[in-house]
Amino acid sequence: MQEYSSQAAYDRGEAVCVIGAGASGLIAVKNLRENGFEVDCYERDTVLGGLWNPQNQHSPLYPNTHLVTSRSQTEIPDFPMPDDWPDYPSAAQMLTYLTAYAKHFGLSEHIWYGSEISTIEPVEGSRFEVIVKPAAGNAARRLRYAAVIIATGHHWAPNLPAYPGQDQYRGTVLHSSQLKDASRLRGKQVLVVGGGNSGVDIACEAAVNAAGCVHSVRRDSWHLPKYLGGEPADYALARLGSRPKFLRRFLTDRILKGPGRLAARMGIDVPDHGPTGEEPVRNGRYLEHVGDGSIRRRGEVARFDGYDVSFADGTEMRPDLVVLATGYRPKITCAPPGLLGVDGDSPYPKLLARMFSPRLETLAVAGLVEPGVGVLPIVHWQTHAIAHWLHVRKGDPERAANFRRQVVSESGQYEIEPSGASPRHQLAVDAEAYLASLGRIIDTLEQEPAK
Amino acid sequence: MSLSAWVRRARTPAPAPVAREFAFLEPADLFDLEIKDDPEASPVLCCTGDPAGAAAFNALWLKRIAASGRYAGAVSVRGQGGTPAAEGGVEARAHDLVQAAVTVPRQAVFIGHREGASWAALAAGRYPAAGLVLVSPRQFPKQPPKPVGGPPVLLVVSESEAQSKEAQAVTDAYGVAPLTFAGSPDEVFKGAAAEGLLDAILSWLAPKK
Ligand SMILES: Cc1cc2nc3c(=O)[nH]c(=O)nc-3n(C[C@H](O)[C@H](O)[C@H](O)COP(=O)(O)OP(=O)(O)OC[C@H]3O[C@@H](n4cnc5c(N)ncnc54)[C@H](O)[C@@H]3O)c2cc1C
Repeated sequence: MQEYSSQAAYDRGEAVCVIGAGASGLIAVKNLRENGFEVDCYERDTVLGGLWNPQNQHSPLYPNTHLVTSRSQTEIPDFPMPDDWPDYPSAAQMLTYLTAYAKHFGLSEHIWYGSEISTIEPVEGSRFEVIVKPAAGNAARRLRYAAVIIATGHHWAPNLPAYPGQDQYRGTVLHSSQLKDASRLRGKQVLVVGGGNSGVDIACEAAVNAAGCVHSVRRDSWHLPKYLGGEPADYALARLGSRPKFLRRFLTDRILKGPGRLAARMGIDVPDHGPTGEEPVRNGRYLEHVGDGSIRRRGEVARFDGYDVSFADGTEMRPDLVVLATGYRPKITCAPPGLLGVDGDSPYPKLLARMFSPRLETLAVAGLVEPGVGVLPIVHWQTHAIAHWLHVRKGDPERAANFRRQVVSESGQYEIEPSGASPRHQLAVDAEAYLASLGRIIDTLEQEPAK
Repeated sequence: MSLSAWVRRARTPAPAPVAREFAFLEPADLFDLEIKDDPEASPVLCCTGDPAGAAAFNALWLKRIAASGRYAGAVSVRGQGGTPAAEGGVEARAHDLVQAAVTVPRQAVFIGHREGASWAALAAGRYPAAGLVLVSPRQFPKQPPKPVGGPPVLLVVSESEAQSKEAQAVTDAYGVAPLTFAGSPDEVFKGAAAEGLLDAILSWLAPKK
């Protein structure tokens, strides 16, 4: 059991605490400060940028990670990326961008590095005591804040499947986050497990680097190339989103016909929900590698046996290396689960409007969504709303109560039918519906108070 | 910027990128021991409707701004000075300005002169400028966007323009009264009137950082 220092907590008054200095934390700090809040941001690592920083000890980057969403759909709305950058910037550019953002808005001076938050405790009604895990030999620090925003990301706890016989398997198994260097694939028979973006990207790396690549996919998803009709695919599809419904349907079907047929030819059953619902796979090279045989697709892994792996369809292989691109479990350890609406059997937070604690008005989470589109703009609008909310709440309790009701009623609207057991889908939202809801929330918060 | 304005823009084709001419001077570049770089002071980014673009600010502005301890930059938008012409109207010029702003080390103050004031006003609707200074605005948008992050706004016009419809439009949009300067609105780049104008702007900026 952790022993806390007997010292009284240091009271930071009206200041807000942000946990995590990844993209979401940085955007939160910037937007809170723009709204006049004092902010302390705590980052457990020694660097900013979160998962885009390969120096972050637990970075999930794999060789040659590039954005799967295009520049114009990924950049923060009020701080565009340089317009001479490619349509799909690399992970390194993403880090350059986030570093420039932090520098431009003077965020670093508000970040405390090497400071992991072990827990937060509600105190004095709506305030929080925040406990910073002690560095070796020091006592834990306790500080009090008026509000807390959790921005700890959800790509840190690998989701590891357990297949029969796996613990006795004699070959090498890595999670995608452990594959830092493409040279590990060279000359090997590689089995990649998992059909999401990471699995598909890594299968493509294996297709050109390894001696052979088998790709095991449990459930088919939409496969989009990175370009559609001469434009970045997400941009092309988003543009259709502003058309009237009947036309959107027609145009979307038309633009997706080619990719759909190609996927079908490669034996992939395109799910009937559109590609905008849950995260589609966005990789133009993959199906070509399947087409030229450098990636061989298999169904689900059935079991491991000595050095061998067999699949549900009865086939077998002997891989030199197994890469589990099986995603991550959203895990927030720095707050009591009840505060985030985690209850009973489901480990997943149930937040109001996917960001507000259902229990405490001054606790919010930024970036805990999988919108199937660029995440940073969504987080920008989330934190914009959170900052405005904290303002309204302070100044006008009656409006605050009305607002709370609106948020509760908005919350049910953008659930996506959970169509899979994969943890990723638990965070999915329909981007179009979610943005519209965020827009309504912000409108309410920005309305002049009725006198 | 409202969420809906962003959604609209993110779904509109972006202006063609151009290699923008950019001039800048930092306090240290002046090699003057008397001049102290003030790390807290916001950088300044200038643009003008004058076809010379960034070069117009070389004679006086950049040096004097840098001498006040601030980073001083100026950009030529598409079709001005050394920046190639490219398609796109005022929105594309505002885009050029925002693109220049994000390359400046820290959150910048926009100073826009003439048509440049209109581009600056549009740019401030997309980027949280640290301040917005509009000098003798021309072709000012009827309903400029609400500036992101609520920066302080300064309107400076020549005495002859104090009653112009442009000045009125700016006053209506931002609720600021104009500050007037002596001299012609086209003689802002050098000469005594220009120096007076610039000093007035810098002293307005000084307490705001
Ligand atoms: C391989 C990969 C590719 C991706 N590609 C795209 C893409 O193309 N487009 C897109 O929009 N999104 C993409 N994403 C999604 C990505 O999640 C977002 O872009 C964004 O980086 C999320 O930022 P974040 O700040 O929410 O989380 P993170 O980047 O994970 O940052 C969280 C930070 O919190 C810190 N932290 C965690 N716990 C604590 C604690 N207790 N105390 C203090 N600090 C703590 C961590 O060290 C980390 O720095 C991708 C994700 C992955 C894994």
